[in-house]
Amino acid sequence: MTDDVWVYALSTCPWCRKTKQWFTDSKIAFEYVDVDTLPVDEQDEVAEKAYKLSGGRRFPVVVINGEVIVGHSPDKFLEHLKGWGG
Amino acid sequence: MGSAERKDSLRYLYERVVGPLGYKFTPDAELADFLLEQEVKLEQDHGAPYCPCQGRTGVRADDRAIVCPCIPFHREHFDKMKRCWCGLFVHTDVTDPDSLPQFPPDEG
Amino acid sequence: MSGPQWVPTIDDSKVRDGAYVPVYPKGVGVLLVRTDGELFAIANKCGHMACPLEGGKLEGDVITCPCHDWRFNVRSGQFIDAPELSLDTFATRVEDGKVFVELKEA
Ligand code: FES
Repeated sequence: MTDDVWVYALSTCPWCRKTKQWFTDSKIAFEYVDVDTLPVDEQDEVAEKAYKLSGGRRFPVVVINGEVIVGHSPDKFLEHLKGWGG
Repeated sequence: MGSAERKDSLRYLYERVVGPLGYKFTPDAELADFLLEQEVKLEQDHGAPYCPCQGRTGVRADDRAIVCPCIPFHREHFDKMKRCWCGLFVHTDVTDPDSLPQFPPDEG
Repeated sequence: MSGPQWVPTIDDSKVRDGAYVPVYPKGVGVLLVRTDGELFAIANKCGHMACPLEGGKLEGDVITCPCHDWRFNVRSGQFIDAPELSLDTFATRVEDGKVFVELKEA
């Protein structure tokens, strides 16, 4: 079963890096965006999306099959990944 | 001021703020160094050493609450985590910061 | 090193109500603040990143640092968002129309 995984991140945030690394190491395909390295005119829009999803301004924001997880939290990632019995 | 000097001065300034609040720099020296480096860049580019793990909105009243050390503005949440959001600071009794989970304010 | 001492600064009339004036008794950065007719003296150096507080907004008892908006009570020196942090405060007295500020040690 494939999971749909999106990571909203900041390039300046080590936890965002850890999250990306975790998905890579777990061999789970994911897409990500480093909000702060987008072209300036796109940053606000994407940031706004992440704020809306997460109800705050904290990164990383991870969306797994539509469920939103805020923070680097492998235990919670696992809970929501179908391929892992979640 | 060069970025190494600015990092040192931020270290000095922050120490005086977080100590009385019951926090200290993370014992993970590499992480602390990386985060301070990001803050120096953020200060150069955006005018203040914003939290490297929180996003700005451009509204001053919002963004003031994520200028490092932002502990006073997120006290309850950080006290629960025993760490600030980006992990630059931990409670003074923390020796193994990697064991601390990261969770949003409404959880944990 | 000697004990506390009273150091003259500016004319009392120069500190208007609802306003502040930076002074430097013996080189120490002090902000004289008058609010509700009462005179207070606090360190003119923010507890956050040491910006001078002058230029900041004074509303009632609260002054807001112009750099990143940390707010301090001018009576107690206390940081509004965390009472553990506070600025030094100094006693004041007016003599012959001049404001004297008490410095802890010289
Ligand atoms: S230096 Fe005063 S708020 Fe940052």
